[in-house]
Amino acid sequence: MPISPPELLPPDLMSQLERLELVTRKVFRGRMKGERRSKRKGESVEFADYRNYTPGDDLRRVDWNLYARLDKLILKLFLEEEDLHFYTLIDASPSMAFGEPTKLEYAKRLAAALGFIGLVKSDRVVIETLGQGLRDRSPVLRGRKSVWRMLEQLSQIEPDQDGSLSEGVKRFCLRNAGKGVVVLISDLMDKQGYEPALKYLMAQRVDVYLIHVLSQEEIDPDVTGDLRLVDCEDQDFAEITVSAPLLSRYKQTLAAFTAGAQEFCSKRGMAYLLANNQMPVNELMTNYMRRRGLVR
Amino acid sequence: MLDGLFRNTLSPLQWSLMLAIPPAILALYFLKLKRMPIEVPSTYLWRKSIEDLRVNSFWQRLRQSILLLLQLLLVALAIFALLRPGWEGTELGGERIIFLVDNSASMGTEDVADAKDRLASAKKKVAGLIDQLDSSMSAMIIAFADTPHVVQQFTGSQGVLRERLESIELTSQPTNLLEALKLAGGLANPGQMTLQDSGVEVEVIEPVTTSLYIFSDGRFEDVEGFDLGGLDPSYVPLGSTDTANLAVTAFSTRRNEVRPEEREAFVQVTNFTEADQDVVVEVQLDGQFLDAKQASLEAGKSASLSFPLADAPPGRLTATIDAESLTAASDRLKIDNEAYAGLNRQEQGKVLLVTQGNKVLEAALSTERAGRIADLTVITPAGLDTEEYKRDAQSGEYALIIYDVCAPAEMPRSHTLFIGSRPPLAGWQGKPEVDAERFPQVIDWNRAHPLLAYVELSDLWIYESQLVDPPQGGTALIDSSNGPLMAIAPRDSYEDVVLGFPIIVYRDGSAMGNTRWFRRRSFPTFWLNTLSYLVGQLAGDAANQAEPGEPIEFRPVTNVPEVVVRSPSGAKTTLTRSGDTTFQFQDTAEPGVYEVLERGQVSKRFAVNLFDRQESDVRLRASQQEAGPGIDSIRIGYTDVTAEAGGAPARKELWQLLLALALVVLMAEWYVCNRRVYI
Repeated sequence: MPISPPELLPPDLMSQLERLELVTRKVFRGRMKGERRSKRKGESVEFADYRNYTPGDDLRRVDWNLYARLDKLILKLFLEEEDLHFYTLIDASPSMAFGEPTKLEYAKRLAAALGFIGLVKSDRVVIETLGQGLRDRSPVLRGRKSVWRMLEQLSQIEPDQDGSLSEGVKRFCLRNAGKGVVVLISDLMDKQGYEPALKYLMAQRVDVYLIHVLSQEEIDPDVTGDLRLVDCEDQDFAEITVSAPLLSRYKQTLAAFTAGAQEFCSKRGMAYLLANNQMPVNELMTNYMRRRGLVR
Repeated sequence: MLDGLFRNTLSPLQWSLMLAIPPAILALYFLKLKRMPIEVPSTYLWRKSIEDLRVNSFWQRLRQSILLLLQLLLVALAIFALLRPGWEGTELGGERIIFLVDNSASMGTEDVADAKDRLASAKKKVAGLIDQLDSSMSAMIIAFADTPHVVQQFTGSQGVLRERLESIELTSQPTNLLEALKLAGGLANPGQMTLQDSGVEVEVIEPVTTSLYIFSDGRFEDVEGFDLGGLDPSYVPLGSTDTANLAVTAFSTRRNEVRPEEREAFVQVTNFTEADQDVVVEVQLDGQFLDAKQASLEAGKSASLSFPLADAPPGRLTATIDAESLTAASDRLKIDNEAYAGLNRQEQGKVLLVTQGNKVLEAALSTERAGRIADLTVITPAGLDTEEYKRDAQSGEYALIIYDVCAPAEMPRSHTLFIGSRPPLAGWQGKPEVDAERFPQVIDWNRAHPLLAYVELSDLWIYESQLVDPPQGGTALIDSSNGPLMAIAPRDSYEDVVLGFPIIVYRDGSAMGNTRWFRRRSFPTFWLNTLSYLVGQLAGDAANQAEPGEPIEFRPVTNVPEVVVRSPSGAKTTLTRSGDTTFQFQDTAEPGVYEVLERGQVSKRFAVNLFDRQESDVRLRASQQEAGPGIDSIRIGYTDVTAEAGGAPARKELWQLLLALALVVLMAEWYVCNRRVYI
């Protein structure tokens, strides 16, 4: 049963989120003036810094008063207020349909919360579902008035049978050349590996946040007996006889998997957040993500 | 060695089928392992996990499946149980084996851990040895108590031996190993015989060595005068050296010394324990409570208790040790906790004295104690010719007739005692009277005979006496330097006693003492003995006792040709007699009071009791050595037969334990399967 828009973003959560804003660690040029103080030094009234003139700079920004005093060409830099391109990529592969609540549902709640923060701060918010089809391609949303539209769009996201993480990311990158902040919400359960997908994003030179969503069933599997595990995506199967050594080995493998993803991200300047589907969204947003620097 | 550890129970075909089970389980496990399908987000992590564990995938899979391991363990235990592993206490050797199983009363002691009583334990051990018989062996079973009984002749059939072994039942009899050994020795080598060839004894067949296993608690004296010959004995002790028991070791009735018209019962209880005990004994008459008394018994000692019976009517008397006393003493043998006595009508025996006049004899027969036993009638020799005497003498009216210097024309139907005369029977007619010896000197007398108990005859002055030459079967009681002066001989069911010398003789019309015996204390004692033995035996209770299995002889009160004997359990046996003999009853296996019915009326009772201190002292013979309470050997002839080490020659089987373990494994499997427990 699809989740309804009000459920995605309860009013009390909205009030908590209004005080937050998205943070980018890179300097981007916004296309339109936004309400945020950009890290890009540009044409505004708020002084930021000085730097030496290099040929090709706009002569209009030379501080002539300083030139008169120092006989040196020095540019006066101002902080530019700009909007932010904020993309949320939701992995809608069938594996995301597991858990209680499902990982996809959890991802939608996260996306709604993050999108709301962006819309409130007049950022350009794009929410995309990583599927083969183009039906879930999101319009660019901006402004508080688009919140409802965003929630509607999110509520309609369904698991995609053909979802492949790297393919989806690749298509996203081809369509969107612009820079900005990309939040990828995925369980990284891709037989081909998650690395190609992240490499595409890295090449795009966007500020990437990876939210790795895992369900409680994956972290601590409640399985016993002789089982035939069937992969919901490719119908691949693995026969296991659950035993204490196997469970222990699985947990070791999972820990290695998450640690590997974290290391991969940190080496490439991406932020990695591991989220359990049992963790309340508001707690995740206000504490966890704030500590990790995605919001402030 | 493996032969000793295992016993094959299956045929090769059955074994091959059995051994095919574990591979079949393995095959089924791998081929038909039913796995529950479950959909997961991704098998990605699981696959990686399995790969790490698949280094030795075959064994890894086995290790992970606790159910499979449990199943294999279950089958392995079952197969192992079929091999019947065990330890053998004793190697059963030889081709011929005799099992001597003690089934005497003491074998009913309930002090063995592995069975109900000692006999059951013995049977279990014998069964264990029977299981070890192989095709070249044959075995035989003899049960023994007072008398041995061949339970099964030599056979190689284990089934027959086992079946016959089960038929051995506990008896109430004492133990007599000698008889059993004689029987075993005779049966062990039945073909052995000697031929008199030119005066030389030749053994025709070489004796075959026969293994002899004696299963007993050793409650018997060492066997003397037996040569084991070809028997190779082993003694298997049964029981414990500290088993406690309380027993009634004697029970009888007699007249009260002070009030002769009353009777009293005497009970002797013995404490066969290591501690002092307080014992309460209860006496019942025909199931009705009469009296109870308490006695304090030191360890190993006896105590006597007397119970006044007043004018109790005839019936069955029972003396029982109180249940609480038995519990307190941890009594382990039941049979001797109760004793029986038959209380008969109290009648004096009639005694006829035929004499010309013998004051000293009349005085000796008229003492107070003699009066309790005998009702004396005195007649003169002239009375022998009267019809009344003839009728009474032939009807058995008198228990005893004493002929003082006279003799009847025909022997009466009663015991007789002749003084200075001889019975009118050919056997007694020795030297004529003229050959009377003057001043015979008494040189010996039979002190063991009841007639001469406590009778001192040394230095006895006798003026003149006939020599008494008893007929065949008779016994001389007093010997002089010239020949016997007194003898006793049986006649039909009676006994005739002849005293060679008169006590009083008449010379010239006046009485003179022929001996000075009547001036000595032994004189009344002798006559009291005579009355007790020849008269009291009929009326008193002493003769109405027998041990289990011992035949008992009795004379009916009235002159009837047949009587019925009713056993304690109610079984009736009809006894007939020819002529004037006594009745003899053989079937006294059951302890209790037997009743004799004459024309449908109970005329007398006799009791069968196990008054045997050897049987009642149920403590297993302990070693006298310093090593401690070890189990001693038994001595047969000049051979010491050492007790088997540990006392258990029987094979100790493990298969029951293995099957129990298999059951535990089965339960564990069920638990693992249902509760999903993982180790």
